[in-house]
Amino acid sequence: MFSKTIFKQTFKSNIRLWLIITVILVALSTLIIGIFNPDMMERVLGFMERAIDDPEFLARMQQEISLINVLGMNFYAGMGLILVLIYIIITANSLVVSKVDRGSMAYILSTPIKRSTVIVTQAIYMIIALVVMFSILAASGLVTAEVSHGGVFFERFTDDVTAVAEEAGMEEAYVAADLNMILENPQLLAIGAEARGIEVEVYAIYLTMLIAQGDDMPQPERTPEQTAMEEQMETAFVDGLEAAAEHMEIEMIELFGDLRALLADHEALGVAVAASGLPVEHFVQGIYMQLAMEEIFLDSRFQFDIGDYIWLNIGMFLLMFATAAISFFFSCLFNLSKHAIALGAGIPIAFYIFQTMAMVGEDLEFFRYFTINTLYNPIDIAAGNGFAIQFAILGVIGVILYGLSVVVFKKKDLPL
Amino acid sequence: MPLIKLENITKDYGDGRGIFDINLNIEKGEVFGFVGTNGAGKTTTIRHIMGFLRPDKGTATVDGLNCWEDSAEIKKYIGYVPGEIAFPDEATGNAFLQSQAQLLGLKDMTYANRIIDILQLDPTANLKRMSKGMKQKTAIVAAFMADPQILILDEPTTGLDPLMRVGVMDLLNEEKKKGKTILMSTHLFEEVEDTCHKVASIKEGRIIDIKSTKEIRHNEVKTFKLEFVSNDEYQRFIAQDSKIFTISEKRPEQDQVIIQLHDENINQFMTMMKSFQIKFLSERKYTLEQYFNSLYKEDKANV
Repeated sequence: MFSKTIFKQTFKSNIRLWLIITVILVALSTLIIGIFNPDMMERVLGFMERAIDDPEFLARMQQEISLINVLGMNFYAGMGLILVLIYIIITANSLVVSKVDRGSMAYILSTPIKRSTVIVTQAIYMIIALVVMFSILAASGLVTAEVSHGGVFFERFTDDVTAVAEEAGMEEAYVAADLNMILENPQLLAIGAEARGIEVEVYAIYLTMLIAQGDDMPQPERTPEQTAMEEQMETAFVDGLEAAAEHMEIEMIELFGDLRALLADHEALGVAVAASGLPVEHFVQGIYMQLAMEEIFLDSRFQFDIGDYIWLNIGMFLLMFATAAISFFFSCLFNLSKHAIALGAGIPIAFYIFQTMAMVGEDLEFFRYFTINTLYNPIDIAAGNGFAIQFAILGVIGVILYGLSVVVFKKKDLPL
Repeated sequence: MPLIKLENITKDYGDGRGIFDINLNIEKGEVFGFVGTNGAGKTTTIRHIMGFLRPDKGTATVDGLNCWEDSAEIKKYIGYVPGEIAFPDEATGNAFLQSQAQLLGLKDMTYANRIIDILQLDPTANLKRMSKGMKQKTAIVAAFMADPQILILDEPTTGLDPLMRVGVMDLLNEEKKKGKTILMSTHLFEEVEDTCHKVASIKEGRIIDIKSTKEIRHNEVKTFKLEFVSNDEYQRFIAQDSKIFTISEKRPEQDQVIIQLHDENINQFMTMMKSFQIKFLSERKYTLEQYFNSLYKEDKANV
């Protein structure tokens, strides 16, 4: 069922393209992971305005800009996918149909090698090459993440936790588990704030928010009066900021990106407070809260979940496994390269186009049902949505098509 | 029982293309020629024996094994030179022959090296840059190196220069002496004449004749060309009404005639010719080519 000689021959004649594609994939993924910058605040702040009105948006945004998501959307569903697609189309063609079309398959089949052995061997090459490609890609990604950001293989602690732990002579993990300890000790609070490079007040709010996030306690019910008051305050706060922006002659977004400038600019602050109609302390408190939220964003975007990352790669592999099976099947079905490419390349490319169209807008969303590419959705992985069934379907499609490839090749006429 | 047996093999590609009701029996040790014009169906027939094509009707067997169902099994006895040369992606001739030997499970390369010597092939040459003739030789080495019992050669001498062609035919004759069963297709009659025991002629997908080469060459009716010293002599010869020979062509300008003469009348003919002054007399060898041309003509006349 498997021929070492054919495998060696196949390996020798296909390894070059594999190597080129793998190197490019690794280089791109290393670049994206390496330069992934948690200070890409402009992008975050562009949404901030809306975040104020929509608390749920905050959670979604945190996900949106996580490394897994940036990688998934920009690389695994984009450039990377196209590169692997090119590799698959060329390789599937060269493994079977081009040998039949050119006639060199005659030399293999004029020896006592069964047709099924030839196809099984070529299919194994196709699969192993993809497995190794994605293993290397995933491993290089993990190493890059660890080297440039840390926190992949070992738990990473924020600078303030490290500083406080050193001062208090305690384990970092212990400090991280009991942030209240910092909050209750003014000395430690000052050290932590300094380590993060932020105001003590902001740091205190930041810690409070973190502790609230950590406790999975249900938030106390708010009375309608409370909600109304909060909304009123928020509106007043935004009014103040708008006035300040106007006074400072900058855009709102710019102001959001640098709220500390407003704190330093007493004149502008005065204008803002006056426009908001809030007491000065309240207004400043509002600014501190915004700054504390930024700090939480900074932390969260460093997060790198190995499990999610591995699933991201497994999912991509399964999609490519199924796609390769499509190309391979047509390579086995036809005797002419041009026919095999028409369907073996045409269908995967159509799938990619349908996926892109389905993402464009709601009018075209129905296209998602005409492509297997939507079975692999990087966002689902980061969001913790279920993806087991989709992945299983991809695997089953692949296995069935590889099986069919052997059957059709065994039964067809060969012009050799 | 014939070693290679084709029974009513039909493969209809439509529009009259394909092969129809092919029956062939090739005995062990027989060298079998397969002639026909391009597109007559030689290659299609061979592909059925190799188990590459599944017949619409009929069965092909090699040593009792079904060519389609046991196609891997029969390859143990068969060496094959395909009609079109397209090698796998290997760097040199040697690399290709090595991998081919591995596929065949062949470890001893002594025989392969002997054939390489006979064909004067340089197997270290880059496979892609080889000339057509060198590629053909490489393909022949690949087919012969396992010393198989059966050789199936689809136009094995195309692309070879006349000298190399002789080399290949010598190799075939050597295999013939060893008792190998050989099926070779060609459109060159001389190759068949020199080597084959039997010849099948195929036209438009149908076998039109199977004959032994001996039978064709040892035709009892021979053709002679005579030239007379003068036109008078020529006229006198023409004028006589003889039953000994038949005149097939008259060439009054050259004082030549072409006559058909049966072997049993040769002495009578010689006696008669004593009274004529002739310049020369030569026998026109009856070749396969003429034989098949006459068949083709008959075929046309019948249509």
